[in-house]
Amino acid sequence: MRRFVLGEFSQPDACVQAARKLREGGVAGLDAYSPYPLHGIDDALALPRSKVPIVALTGGVLGALGGYTLQWWMNAVDFPINVGNRPQHGFWTNIPITFESGVLIAVLSIFFSSIFVFFGLPRTYHPVFESERFRTASLDAFWISAETADENAVPELEQKFREAGARKVHTVAESV
Amino acid sequence: MSETAIDARAALRPLPLVEGAQDDGTLNKTLNAYVWQPPQRGWLALVLIGLAGTGMLFAAITITIAKGIGMWGNNIPVAWAFGIINFVWWIGIGHAGTLISAILLLFQQKWRTSINRFAEAMTLFAVLQAALYPVLHTGRPWFAIYWLFPYPSTNAIWPQFKSPLMWDVFAVSTYFITSLLFWYLGLIPDLASLRDSSTSRRARVTYGIFALGWRGSARHWHHYKIAYLLLAGLATPLVLSVHTIVSWDFALSILPGWHTTIFPPYFVAGAVFSGFAMVLTLMIPARRFMGLKHVITPRHLESMAKVMLCTGLIVDYGYLMEHFIAWYSGNVYEQYVFFVTRPKGPYAWAYYLQLLCNVVVPQMYWLKWARRNIWTLWIGAVLINVGMWFERFNIIVTSLHQDFIPSNWAMYYPTWVDLSLLGGTICFFGLLFLLFLKFLPAVAVSEVKELNHELHEGAAGVSLHTPAAPLHAGELEATEP
Repeated sequence: MRRFVLGEFSQPDACVQAARKLREGGVAGLDAYSPYPLHGIDDALALPRSKVPIVALTGGVLGALGGYTLQWWMNAVDFPINVGNRPQHGFWTNIPITFESGVLIAVLSIFFSSIFVFFGLPRTYHPVFESERFRTASLDAFWISAETADENAVPELEQKFREAGARKVHTVAESV
Repeated sequence: MSETAIDARAALRPLPLVEGAQDDGTLNKTLNAYVWQPPQRGWLALVLIGLAGTGMLFAAITITIAKGIGMWGNNIPVAWAFGIINFVWWIGIGHAGTLISAILLLFQQKWRTSINRFAEAMTLFAVLQAALYPVLHTGRPWFAIYWLFPYPSTNAIWPQFKSPLMWDVFAVSTYFITSLLFWYLGLIPDLASLRDSSTSRRARVTYGIFALGWRGSARHWHHYKIAYLLLAGLATPLVLSVHTIVSWDFALSILPGWHTTIFPPYFVAGAVFSGFAMVLTLMIPARRFMGLKHVITPRHLESMAKVMLCTGLIVDYGYLMEHFIAWYSGNVYEQYVFFVTRPKGPYAWAYYLQLLCNVVVPQMYWLKWARRNIWTLWIGAVLINVGMWFERFNIIVTSLHQDFIPSNWAMYYPTWVDLSLLGGTICFFGLLFLLFLKFLPAVAVSEVKELNHELHEGAAGVSLHTPAAPLHAGELEATEP
């Protein structure tokens, strides 16, 4: 059964400093929760670079190529129509839709990869919500959690959280 | 001298972005208060008017579909009339939302923060209204999907991609999807805060479903910030492309009055101009009735007036250039449209109304008092909305009704179905907007909290952020009606 040691902080800066101190003190499985993005938390938790830009670029390039190919194949290959003897394959007239489809696929890939892959949402349950007080994480308080599978490690972790300056510390267990 | 140096410096300081001593707790309470309040009488009355108008809209749509496009006043030569005027007007209004949410984000304009959610919702609802018109204008809307999208139907024929009308289909649908996803991504943290401050189970479950289980994790914010910025970066060229392509619907034809290279920039500026006017028209009453004056301050209103003045001047330059190029081209048809049909023809009153509303009225925003007075702002914004509608009327109807051969000329008069569609979409737009104000956070709460925190940190390097007593679940209940 997974356990989460939770510490609540009233100030964003205190939360970031505590996260750094805990990580440097060798605590694993750390995460922080806040109503808005915390300045410096990425560095404090040593998060790796986000892969969202790579997904966006891939989506955009594939979308643009797909959009161009679609127009070329439909208007110049599958069913060419002669309108005023203009070229069947009009490079310049294909550009607007190529741009639009590039943007469309880039936007769709950013949004859906963020929600489903990077955030791992939607989910109906997460152990941190076992704490009724955790509601403040989206309102006006800042939280740090450490995940552990070992029940005996909890008291030591709680002590470390208190030393890092958490104003309230408690532990929740995943209900299975 | 009575004025000290300190007083003089204080007069130069910009107006505040957030008024009063606010912290995360007070922002939560005040920004979401409208959602938790029981509905006000004025809100209910407006919803009823909106519902009635929406009923009228659907009646007019039913008549158009059942009896055909002949129920509209369109004729030959004026084949594009209210359908396209209203389409361009609504889509233009939508552009302010993307400008505020995306372009001002990239330019790091902090005053966008408390108005972006509001303006993005306006974009979505305006694009919905806009999309109705071309679909109805096809005459057989049930076929529109085969005609407009590359759908492999049994006709075995594909859309003609060399037409700006096809580009328009792709531009507008991409624009709608992008605006919707951008808006929703911004809403997720605020839906989570509504979920967490709710006291009834029903509200908690409903907002919980739409919040998707968001828990504000740093590992999520890490990707969220980049995703949001990238969406803004993509929305910026997109919004420019959308109205550019709308203008090509006209400029790529050879009709005098349409065939002009100034059209793309002039249309984009006009779109932003009318969009800001609509944001002000809606925001001035909303900030008063929803108790949002502390986050939508005179600073925001003044900045919007400045954007209106600037884009208004670009539009005026467009008018000037159209007339200059018509004269300079030596083309008699061009000259006839700009120097006879518009200023002296049967629709001259619409031309002068356009000039009054779009050229004369915005000039008052050179004066500080006009930018800071609620009434000059609101009345000016309404007049600009009217002026921009008549601009599209003049571009479309006056150019078409007297084209090349006088034997081809005809007048255009809207029918009651045309007028019901216009009035109906305004009511439907208003209805969607009222529902949005009541059920969703109209101000981006998490972004305002972040801004408030930044502003306090920035003040002389001292953290003025007073430690707020945490909101316990019990206290939340006590503060709610």
